Amino acid sequence: MTSTAAKVSLIEFRPDDDWQHIVIADQEECRRCPDKNCLRVCPAGVFAWDNHPGHPVLVRYKQCVECGACRLACPQGAIEFSYPRGGYGVVFHQG
Amino acid sequence: MLNEWFKTKKPHKLPPRTQAASTAAAPRKYDAIVVGAGPSGASAACFMARDGLDVLLLERGPFPGAKTCGGAAVIAEQIHELFPNFWEECRYERIVTRLDYWWLNDDSAVTAGFTSGRLAAAPYNRLSVKRKNFYSWLAAKAVSAGATLLLGHTVDDVLLDHGRTVGVHVSPPQNTTFLADIVILADGANSLLAERAGLNSSVTAKNLSLYAKETIALPPETIEERFNLPPGQGAAIGLIGYPTAGFNGTGSIHLFRDGVNINAGMSVSDFAAGGFGPGDLLERIKKHPRIQPLLAGGVTAEYGAAMIPEGGYHAIPPLVHPGLLIAGDAASLVNGTQGINLAMWSGFYAAKAAFEAKKSRDFSARKLSLYRTLLDESFILQNMRANAKAAALQRDRPYLFDLYSRMANEAAYQMARAYPMPMNAKRKFIWHKVTSLQPVGKIAADLWQVLKVVKG
Ligand SMILES: Cc1cc2nc3c(=O)[nH]c(=O)nc-3n(C[C@H](O)[C@H](O)[C@H](O)COP(=O)(O)OP(=O)(O)OC[C@H]3O[C@@H](n4cnc5c(N)ncnc54)[C@H](O)[C@@H]3O)c2cc1C
Ligand code: SF4
Ligand code: SF4
Repeated sequence: MTSTAAKVSLIEFRPDDDWQHIVIADQEECRRCPDKNCLRVCPAGVFAWDNHPGHPVLVRYKQCVECGACRLACPQGAIEFSYPRGGYGVVFHQG
Repeated sequence: MLNEWFKTKKPHKLPPRTQAASTAAAPRKYDAIVVGAGPSGASAACFMARDGLDVLLLERGPFPGAKTCGGAAVIAEQIHELFPNFWEECRYERIVTRLDYWWLNDDSAVTAGFTSGRLAAAPYNRLSVKRKNFYSWLAAKAVSAGATLLLGHTVDDVLLDHGRTVGVHVSPPQNTTFLADIVILADGANSLLAERAGLNSSVTAKNLSLYAKETIALPPETIEERFNLPPGQGAAIGLIGYPTAGFNGTGSIHLFRDGVNINAGMSVSDFAAGGFGPGDLLERIKKHPRIQPLLAGGVTAEYGAAMIPEGGYHAIPPLVHPGLLIAGDAASLVNGTQGINLAMWSGFYAAKAAFEAKKSRDFSARKLSLYRTLLDESFILQNMRANAKAAALQRDRPYLFDLYSRMANEAAYQMARAYPMPMNAKRKFIWHKVTSLQPVGKIAADLWQVLKVVKG
């Protein structure tokens, strides 16, 4: 198995439909951001962009594994990260 | 020696508190609240409860261990001192009898290792564990000692009164407050709480490393055959060089009963600079000609990722505050491949300091600094201090792992080949091959730095 999407599909998630725990506070920053680290550093492919200048960076927070790396990797500090509400989010079983 | 002080102390239990009739409005007050039911938090809660403190252990996952992944082998000998014969109660995966390091090149590996049947006898050297089993066993220890465990509770704030910690706030759906004389933060590598409270400024892209892991299911007999192990025994293999594509990072392989856990990663800042993610490293390493055959035919059971605080001794934040202690990964207490055992021992020391504070009803930073003193005198900080220079060396020479792994492989390859030339000429030839990768002067300078670190 090689694609991130296929691997992420194996993980159990208990998604919170009512509250998004990762948001990009200011898409203006993303528009100006040359490297877009978030797109490549995130191990779960949460951030997505269609390569159209001016289009927003999408945050597919329901597939986040809660590692916390994106907020450290974003040079603009544009990512507001907190943990999902109690009981929601990723559930690992295999160690 | 202060280190042994707690052992010589007479066991002393606080008298059970008489429960005041709870008024609906006032939040419940505990002696101590521990945030996070990982190895550090559950150990802290267990030892405080054993000493008679009224302890609340809060965990955001639906069960302990649900939120972390990767590795893992625990150093059984050290855990045995805290929880004697723990292997009789806790489900482990394999008894690790082989410790290997593999220095990888694109197509080859120079390996060094140690295998011994003697490691298969109790108290064992290392045992591989699945986090879910290990964390749940440990949290159950805390509960049976008398601690209250609440799952599905995410703490989002530390409450302060005149600069002293007095409790925590739990996010919705509970949206509630708990009070305590002492709060122990054991919320792991990505300690948002310490950071938000302004207590930890060392959570940076340089100090935190990101690892991706994959658990690949394989039948036990296949694992034992491929890794050349007797039934029930396992290996822990460190992977250096090639896994991190030119940066200083590492990978490792751990063996479960019916699966192989493989991971790779490096600092978040190196990922940002490299323009790729840990999933890419993992794919690369799985395809290495030495590793691919080990995994062949296996089915991926789970993928995941987590961070490790790898900043070393100098990244340790202040750990003692009025009414508050920081333990485990949140305190950056990771040394090489060791994290879980340091987390547990730091939780134990935090519990001892909390108990002394409770007895004297003094929760000031001065009183609680016993925690830092115990850590300072323990193997934890002594070993981390000894390794501090190695961490700096890796930062200053980010090419070390990759380059010397390449050179070792090149030298080994050339030595293995039999050219029709005299020995002396061959030696010269190999020397030229190897030094074409790095000029002699630079090798000497690197070597000098490494020697300085090793000598301490
Ligand atoms: C890929 C990988 C491989 C590793 N391999 C090994 C190994 O082989 N051997 C080894 O000894 N160490 C290993 N480690 C390191 C080890 O995982 C850590 O050092 C150890 O887990 C630290 O324990 P802890 O209790 O401090 O933190 P954690 O284990 O991270 O536990 C923190 C707990 O706090 C909870 N929590 C966090 N925030 C909140 C909040 N706001 N409210 C409520 N609960 C919260 C989390 O859900 C979690 O249960 C590895 C780490 C990784 C990432
Ligand atoms: S790295 Fe930060 S600023 Fe850049 S695109 Fe991603 S979220 Fe936006
Ligand atoms: S926390 Fe980790 S998995 Fe979640 S979005 Fe950030 S980088 Fe991706």
